[in-house]
Amino acid sequence: MLDLLIKFQDMDRRWVFLGMGFAILLPMLANITFGFEVDERVQALYDEVEALPAGSTVLLSADFDPASRPELDPFFRAHLHHLFRKDVKVVMVTLWEFAPPLILPTTEEIAGKHGKEYGTDWAFLGYKPGKELAIKAIGENIPKTFPKDSRGNVTTALPVMQGMKQAKDFAMLMSVSAGFPGTREYVLQIQGQYNLKMGSSCTAVSAPDYIPFYKAGQLFGLAGGMPGSAQYEKLVFPDGPPTSGPAKGERLLATQAINVLNLGHLFIIALIVLGNIAFFITRRIEDQG
Amino acid sequence: MTALTTIELVGCWISLALTICILSFLYEDNPVYKLAEHLFLGVSIAISVVEIYYGVMKPNLIEPLLGGELLSLVPLVLVVMLFFKLHRKLSYLARVPIAFIVAAYAGVKLTGEANANLMTQVAQSMPNLSQLWADHGIWDWSADGAGVFSGIALVLGLSACLLHFYFSAPHKKAMKYVSRFGILTLMLSFGASFGYTVMGRISLAIGRAQEMMGLDKAPAVAEQVHPKTATVLLTIAVIGFLVVWKKRQKTA
Repeated sequence: MLDLLIKFQDMDRRWVFLGMGFAILLPMLANITFGFEVDERVQALYDEVEALPAGSTVLLSADFDPASRPELDPFFRAHLHHLFRKDVKVVMVTLWEFAPPLILPTTEEIAGKHGKEYGTDWAFLGYKPGKELAIKAIGENIPKTFPKDSRGNVTTALPVMQGMKQAKDFAMLMSVSAGFPGTREYVLQIQGQYNLKMGSSCTAVSAPDYIPFYKAGQLFGLAGGMPGSAQYEKLVFPDGPPTSGPAKGERLLATQAINVLNLGHLFIIALIVLGNIAFFITRRIEDQG
Repeated sequence: MTALTTIELVGCWISLALTICILSFLYEDNPVYKLAEHLFLGVSIAISVVEIYYGVMKPNLIEPLLGGELLSLVPLVLVVMLFFKLHRKLSYLARVPIAFIVAAYAGVKLTGEANANLMTQVAQSMPNLSQLWADHGIWDWSADGAGVFSGIALVLGLSACLLHFYFSAPHKKAMKYVSRFGILTLMLSFGASFGYTVMGRISLAIGRAQEMMGLDKAPAVAEQVHPKTATVLLTIAVIGFLVVWKKRQKTA
């Protein structure tokens, strides 16, 4: 037993990787379902979007890259479906240079399914570097910050941009954020200054930093990491993967992933518990000589 | 569903191959991992350059200059001055644009941090206990444990953390226990952050696994790409390469 415990402590880390690989692949192959609840922060986010009147315009800052795609893309897709089915207009920007190849095809696809027209119902103003300075500029004057949209149209000539000069002119600001610059910088630079109604979807790593913003009322809602995306999917598509309508064919990847995530967490917890038991037993035996 | 073009199919297979190459690092550092890493870096830099040119330089500098807006010469001159950093004798010229950048950032950061982070969060660290009692009671399970208990725990934990970093009084007697409570609070915070970080990393692995299993694609697309077959074949190819590479390393 003691030998086994000593061996466990000196275990090659590659066994842990292999175990994690199985913990991820098994629920996908066996289709195991654990189920999950929607937490207060995601519910608040959904309710606020649900309360938007048709015809209002939302400023959506999609700041993520391929690395954070598994966590944020499911939220992004569900959020676009949610906005378009409520006939809310969307003006999208990004502060991440790797975001346009990810977000533009997705938005074109989902807008097309809902029969939304570019320029009238939605627009993508493109990528803007400058991080916090760019956010400050978005707060002050959007047409000056983005003189032309991603398709080369003059921003002020777009029907969706009529009357939308500053961030505060929008019904709400939604930040889909993988880190810096993102939600935190929007809160610091323009949310407080213009008293914007702002929500956020962020990676799991960022969530502990953003929860105080939610508690302080600076964010009206927060979807953190893959569980946040899965909960939002559950609210937008309560009957599971849609089989009809504009969202037909949506895969609900975060909902699929949440089962896998649960098993992965159980595997990590088991390793931590076993590692600690092995550590304390071997230390006690060593102390006794 | 229209048939995928050859280039789209090849793109899907390359994506799977690169994922397996990167995952091979879990075994150990090896040439196929290096290949994927270098490709990633090269493509990342290329995308950055293209996005910055079309998103920034062209609309904000080149087009205004071609349109006769002479004011755009100011940022152009500042950009050129930045490159003097590469010249040994004239490198001091780069200090001017750097000074602009530092000053602008300092100004922007200061106001944002002071207003939205410091003031609002300090105000939130003084909870209204009577309001908490009225809204949630002692502990409200449906609102992430909000209530009087959490309000008091917040104030005590915050005070203990701040006192832990107060070094003008020796950490003895009562201060010793306060300081230890501060450490305990910090550990709870680090634990929560670590938990979220683990969840984030597993989520990324799940994302790749979903692609390898073809779950992220519409069934009609997955039928054309055959992601499971591709994953198995490419994994065998990478393992085969690693075996040959290890044997060559041993003989060398």
